[in-house]
Amino acid sequence: MRSYRTLNAEELTIGRGAECNIHLLDPRIAMHHAVIKRLDDGQTHLVAINGELQVDGLMVSEVALTDGQQAMIGPYLLKVEPAPPDVNISVSLELSHRLPDDFQDLKARTHEPLQGSSSVKRKIALGLFAFITLIFLALPLAQNLSSRLHTTMEELPMGFDRVWSPGHISNAHLHFGSQCFNCHEKLTQQVTDAACLTCHQDTAPHIANAALQKQVFNQKHRFSEGIRCAECHREHKAPVSLTRQDNAKCVECHGNIKAVNAKTDLSNVHDFDKDHPPFKLTFITENQQVERISQTEKERLIEQSGLIFPHSQHVGKVQGPNGMADVRDLTCTNCHHPKGKEMRFSPPTFERDCKTCHRKELKLGSAEKAIYAPHGSVQQVVSAMQTEAPKQAATYLETLKTEGCAYCHEVLETQKEDALPWQIKPLTINHDWFSKAHFNHAKHRTQQCQACHDVETSETSEDVAMPDKAVCLKCHSGNKPKYKRIASTCMSCHEFHDAHATQEALLKK
Amino acid sequence: MQHNNMFNYKNYRYFKWAVVVILVAFAAYLLFEPAVGHYGGSWLGYGLGTISALMVFWMAWYGVRKRRYRSSGNTQGWLSAHIYLGTALTVLVTLHTGFRFGLNIHTFAYGMLLIVVVSGFFGNYAYMIYPRLMTENMGEDSLDGLLLRIAETDKLARQIALVMPDDINFTVDRACRETYIGTRLLEQLRGYQEDCPTEKAVKKLTVMGNDLSPEQRKLYRELYSIMVRRQTLVKRVRQELMYRSRLGIWLYFHVPFAIALITAMLVHIIAVFLYW
Repeated sequence: MRSYRTLNAEELTIGRGAECNIHLLDPRIAMHHAVIKRLDDGQTHLVAINGELQVDGLMVSEVALTDGQQAMIGPYLLKVEPAPPDVNISVSLELSHRLPDDFQDLKARTHEPLQGSSSVKRKIALGLFAFITLIFLALPLAQNLSSRLHTTMEELPMGFDRVWSPGHISNAHLHFGSQCFNCHEKLTQQVTDAACLTCHQDTAPHIANAALQKQVFNQKHRFSEGIRCAECHREHKAPVSLTRQDNAKCVECHGNIKAVNAKTDLSNVHDFDKDHPPFKLTFITENQQVERISQTEKERLIEQSGLIFPHSQHVGKVQGPNGMADVRDLTCTNCHHPKGKEMRFSPPTFERDCKTCHRKELKLGSAEKAIYAPHGSVQQVVSAMQTEAPKQAATYLETLKTEGCAYCHEVLETQKEDALPWQIKPLTINHDWFSKAHFNHAKHRTQQCQACHDVETSETSEDVAMPDKAVCLKCHSGNKPKYKRIASTCMSCHEFHDAHATQEALLKK
Repeated sequence: MQHNNMFNYKNYRYFKWAVVVILVAFAAYLLFEPAVGHYGGSWLGYGLGTISALMVFWMAWYGVRKRRYRSSGNTQGWLSAHIYLGTALTVLVTLHTGFRFGLNIHTFAYGMLLIVVVSGFFGNYAYMIYPRLMTENMGEDSLDGLLLRIAETDKLARQIALVMPDDINFTVDRACRETYIGTRLLEQLRGYQEDCPTEKAVKKLTVMGNDLSPEQRKLYRELYSIMVRRQTLVKRVRQELMYRSRLGIWLYFHVPFAIALITAMLVHIIAVFLYW
């Protein structure tokens, strides 16, 4: 709809205000928006007052109204039309940006939430699916299946399959553990012993007798190649120990030992407290054989070391060699010297231990013409006697045989034709009574020696002062801890890979 | 209080089930500890894992079933079981982990489960709280109804503002034309828009009416009350959108991450038996 008006004025004000010549009732128009007036240059201009003017999209404060000129006054388009002859200027005003419908406009500016949600959800789901399948399945699998990729990945600190690792690797294996193929040689195959043996070639078997070892373990695992390393050594469980510390695996065989080896003389055992058999002590017999005797057979527990030594006379306050005033307080460590981290004891020696109280040489003959028998071999003693006192040598040697040397040593008779009149029995000092177990003195150092070794009343060196199971059970219990008693499993005292405790090994010591 | 909702369905039947499942799992966990500590590969671990995996599939089946509109049991019952047994499942899986976590597919799958469960809890909460609040907020109105009423106030406000000074007119005009409702997801979820022109206009108008003529002043007061009404209406619409978005947003996590969980869980199972 167009309407025409002819106005007569010096200047034409345009605005929302009722007093304006051109009254535009639109909220986007200012009260006094602009004015059309003649400026000093003689031309008619459109000048902004409180509103905005735009020419070709640019904001301007004024514009000369020449023929054909267009300008936007708010939403209105002003156009300079060709003026009829009796008029100074002719303009047309057209509402080019209509005020939109309020409701529709508002609706367009109102965004409902979660539009197209199912497609978004589908995209997220697909993305996650693709990500998981690629990172956690496709790449690790590809590394296993493509040898080229495998070779490339070998050089890197870790492979794609690292994401399959179920837990921390133990410290000892950490340096190669981030490359799974070092142990997991084939997909779907459990880790084989061959992988372990790459490094651990020298691990001792459980049983020294190779045939028995094979027979026993195949008996237990009829369908496999015997027991696997990984059954007891569980990796990916750090910081928990790599080696199983519980009894379950041991008891699988030792709970019913006859089932795996009918000929064995071992007893069944499930728990140290409940059914561990009495300890057996390892003896080395005179003919250099290893014999294990149960501590219940007390009458057979006789050590034949070749020494005559009453412990009872060497404990506590004893008379020293230098007269009445020389009283010495002897303890175990005066003669038994601990060595090493585990505080094992080296055997006492004459030079180091006996000599501190006892004379180095044996005095023979009268006070004026005394001669001395050195502490040495029988040959040395015989030579000394024959040199020092050729006439009385036989007498003196007889004295030594019955009183001197025989004071501490067992003396053996010799045949008539032998060069020596008698012999000293070679010493066989036992180093390892519990050869099938390990005992750490250092861990028990808070205890008094006598708490376990009852030597104060021992009159003879035949006595074996090794503690029995009952002594251990004072402080130790079985699989479960008990009141004031420490839980002790098989592994507390025994080694699985313990084939070193063979006869030969024991005799070598 | 409502009767028979998904929580007290059949006198808390599934709640009781869930409690039993959790107690049994805990008892087993405490009684059977492997020598190397708890882990997913022990017999107990395999047991818990297998049960959990089956439960995950069963949970997911709820989502499939729901979309099928074919009846096999009461939907409310299914939802009740979904919620309670889903919670029990989380406990089972946590025990299955043996509390051993690392940067691997196994812990990743567990993380997926947690996202699904936590989003499910939020959904639960949303459906407990928001429908009532929505009714309180909207009353008899619909969203379009509110928008129409805002449009009406716009018309009225503009008309009065035409005779007001420019600053008032423009403030009102801007408020009418530049107020957006729920522009982005974040604003929708918060139910609040920073620098809302309507809010600003109401604030500004309190100080603008000082230099008005007495006739204008009367109109001005009317204009002010119209703008306050507009503000209230806008707030209500925003609130409505907030509730709607919160009622919907958790499904953005619950559903896609459930897919991710199933994928990760399957990969986790495959990986365990590829290298074992």
